[in-house]
Amino acid sequence: MLWAALLPDVDPSSRLPSTDVLNGTATWALQYTPRVAVIEASAVALELSASTRLFGGKRQLVERIRNQAAELDLTAPSWAPTSLAALALARAGQTNGFSKPLDQVLDALPLDTLTAAKVHDATLSRLGCRTLGDVRALPRGGLSRRFDAQLLTALDQAYGLRPESHAWVQLPDRFAQRLELMSRVEMAPALLFGARRLLLQMCGWLAARRSGTTAFTLRWCHDVMRSKTAGDGGELTIRTAEATRNIEHLSRLLAEHLAKVELKAPVGDLELVADDVRALEETSSSLLPDPVQSGESLALVMERVAARLGPQRVLRPVLAADHRMEWMVHWRPAAEPPPRKSAPISGLPQPAFMLPQPLKLAARGDRPLYQGPLMLLSGPHRVEGGWWHRLPDDSGEQRSQTVIRDYWVALSEHAGVLWIFHTRLDNDRSAWFLQGVFA
Amino acid sequence: MNAAAVPQWQDPESVEAAPTRRLRPTVVLGEIPDGVWKGSELGSKVAETIPTGWPALDAQLPGGGWPCRSISEVLAPQPAVIEWRLLGGAMRHVVTNGGQLVLVGPPKHPHLPGLMHDGADARQLIWVQAETPAERLWVTEQMIKSDAAGVIVAWLPQARQEQIRRLQVCALACQAPVFLCRPEAARHESSAAPLRVHATYHLDWELKVEIFKRRGPALETELRLPSIPGGLASILTPRLLEPSRLFKRMETVDAVGSSAPRRRSVQPLAVH
Repeated sequence: MLWAALLPDVDPSSRLPSTDVLNGTATWALQYTPRVAVIEASAVALELSASTRLFGGKRQLVERIRNQAAELDLTAPSWAPTSLAALALARAGQTNGFSKPLDQVLDALPLDTLTAAKVHDATLSRLGCRTLGDVRALPRGGLSRRFDAQLLTALDQAYGLRPESHAWVQLPDRFAQRLELMSRVEMAPALLFGARRLLLQMCGWLAARRSGTTAFTLRWCHDVMRSKTAGDGGELTIRTAEATRNIEHLSRLLAEHLAKVELKAPVGDLELVADDVRALEETSSSLLPDPVQSGESLALVMERVAARLGPQRVLRPVLAADHRMEWMVHWRPAAEPPPRKSAPISGLPQPAFMLPQPLKLAARGDRPLYQGPLMLLSGPHRVEGGWWHRLPDDSGEQRSQTVIRDYWVALSEHAGVLWIFHTRLDNDRSAWFLQGVFA
Repeated sequence: MNAAAVPQWQDPESVEAAPTRRLRPTVVLGEIPDGVWKGSELGSKVAETIPTGWPALDAQLPGGGWPCRSISEVLAPQPAVIEWRLLGGAMRHVVTNGGQLVLVGPPKHPHLPGLMHDGADARQLIWVQAETPAERLWVTEQMIKSDAAGVIVAWLPQARQEQIRRLQVCALACQAPVFLCRPEAARHESSAAPLRVHATYHLDWELKVEIFKRRGPALETELRLPSIPGGLASILTPRLLEPSRLFKRMETVDAVGSSAPRRRSVQPLAVH
């Protein structure tokens, strides 16, 4: 048996940790083993002997739990062959119960590490008992007659002489955890510190359910001392394209979103809710790793980039059947699903770069100039159409998007191969415009 | 295990051969054994490369192509003039292998129908509109670190030396080639990129490429690579294949010399 005991921070008023903290820790621990129990309403114990192989051996598992517990701001777990022994070690501030035989380790511990012995602390100390070893050395018959049955039972269970029974913690169906912040937080990015702890618990819950999330909500409650206009609090829902339980990705996304939030009042409490949970297919840990899977997927990176820059600045093209250069391609946010059908490809020469607005060129005589004289190589390619296409302009009037243009391929000595057009202006004049570059 | 597979320790031949074996090979003067690197050779082998599309350029690049897992700098006098003409071959190679093409902060809007002549595909192209230098650097670094793109082309006109060095360190773990397009002035700054290329174009449908930094000796000569952009090859007449001659004539005969504008003056615009 391999037991780990975790002692969360206690509430100073009741000398016990709050239920939220215990539940959160137990939920997080369920990702390692289904055998998680809350002992004496003050500690969480995990039985891990069946999980060592899954997590790559005892040493790696111990390391992993220790690192994650540190992130959750728990003290390092104590390890022992029985749960009461692990708890006693944790209370005594020791971590390793496997360094010596169990009775030697336990014999040296003080009385108050075992709750059943702590009750009789006064009597036992008058008998001259300072440690658990002293109590165990007393004759069993006298001990059972003078003290209650729990003391002997607890001693035997801690030393592994009698079986223990536990009520295992059940995995909740829905994840919603609250966290009271240590101090009032006034800047939104600073919420991430507390939110990351909740995210860790959520990722543990997701791992225990073998699923991932596509949407989760972070709610915050404003402190009682707030202005009247501030309201109770706010919330932020974060969606991802693919179901995931990658803590790094989720907390980065949350950080990007929190950076844009402005808090109206100091925040005292946080709550994290997993809104949309989907089954997640895990990647197999094969002997030969798949080279394509080595990095994170492009969708995840694009999501993060879009979270910082805004979704309208991470774009994918969609071809449209149109001859006007401005309307040939629609740029859509990359997160949107691509259309099933794309427009046919013409195969005609087209520049690879386009100016956002056609640039009016100066002319010498009827010859266009752009960084020196241009030589017209090929043309005219007449493009005429768009009378059916009306868009409102700045003043709200509908304007036809008609274009009547003669396109030419022009060559410049310095600016490369250009795609320019010649069109009529309003007052019977005509002008040259630069619209693209064959780069 | 059968008996035949057991080695015979008392093999008479090996006993005889042992004393004649020379312990130290002698080097004959003027003859360099294999495996010794010579100064005139290209530098240490670059493991993964992507063909450029021009055998002449491949031959001059260490490893025979654009290097993966590192940064390559492309310097040009003006932005958005030669990029796709130079990188089109690499782009076609990546896209046919299913890689994604990511553009970070191009100076002009990319135009997909033109890029398709270089093998781009609507499903494999992402344009990140990063405007400020900090945004460009951040997006480029995120893309390199994630190692999810097939090829990354970033325009970083204002990047500093230490920023390029940081990107190069990140790129060591990235399988895709990373191209940084920078202005010509960056040539005089030092840079951590192992491959630096200066490219301009020549009027006669050629690119002039100068590899002024590579792993190996500097290349003194300038490469001239044929390149006709954007599907123009199908519409060029033999006379147009040498526009520099037309340019000369245009300059000497002044404005009316070239035949193309004369045609344009005949073509009436007021017909509609």
